[in-house]
Amino acid sequence: MGSSNVKRFSGMQKQVLSLFRGFLRAARSKSEEERRKIESIVSQEFRRNAKSVDRKNFLYIEYLLRRGNKQLEQLRNPGITGLSSLQLHFSKTDSNAHSSIKG
Amino acid sequence: MATNTLAGTSLSMRSLTPQTQAFTSLSGRRSGLISSFGRKNVSFNLQPRQIRLQISCAAKPETVEKVCDIVKKQLAVSEGQTVTAESTFQKLGADSLDTVEIVMALEEAFGIAIEEESAQTITTVQEAADLIEDIIEKKSS
Repeated sequence: MGSSNVKRFSGMQKQVLSLFRGFLRAARSKSEEERRKIESIVSQEFRRNAKSVDRKNFLYIEYLLRRGNKQLEQLRNPGITGLSSLQLHFSKTDSNAHSSIKG
Repeated sequence: MATNTLAGTSLSMRSLTPQTQAFTSLSGRRSGLISSFGRKNVSFNLQPRQIRLQISCAAKPETVEKVCDIVKKQLAVSEGQTVTAESTFQKLGADSLDTVEIVMALEEAFGIAIEEESAQTITTVQEAADLIEDIIEKKSS
């Protein structure tokens, strides 16, 4: 049965999935409206990188993980209510999601 | 005598392994199996793969149905496509990120917390439903 083999993830893949989970968890603590926004931005960002980043580009993935973890730490702060993303079209690889404090 | 019974159990366990499919559909087996590995931890240690047995006890149909609904909603599965207990997330077009989202949605719907380690082993609706019932049972006991 093909369904019985458990998918094994590399350490790095696990870190990425765990970061993703962390973001979704953090989003739960925000208001309903912001939560939807956060979820859509986060899931877009992860999917975009999953497609565009070469899976062997460990240095860059490590950088993204570090950046993501820092952003997650900020998002966990109760004072932060939302997330907004800024698309920089002139650069090929970068579109930073900046956390911002909304009064 | 003790070694005798021990050999007996590990034998029957081994014979079950190749047919997990048949096994999941037998809901009646559940209590029998749990008690049999509760008594003999030794045979459990001998076969690390048996860990899968913990989550392959059949879940209630309501749970399976609820999981199906959530999976459908999360993956935006088209009306024509059916989602059954045997459906694998992969076949429904889910990637690992989708699976994480499904697990998070299930956590909320059932009001439970699913550990990351076990979340990563879920590949089918049935496995998800089994794991959920397992967690609910542990929580209530």
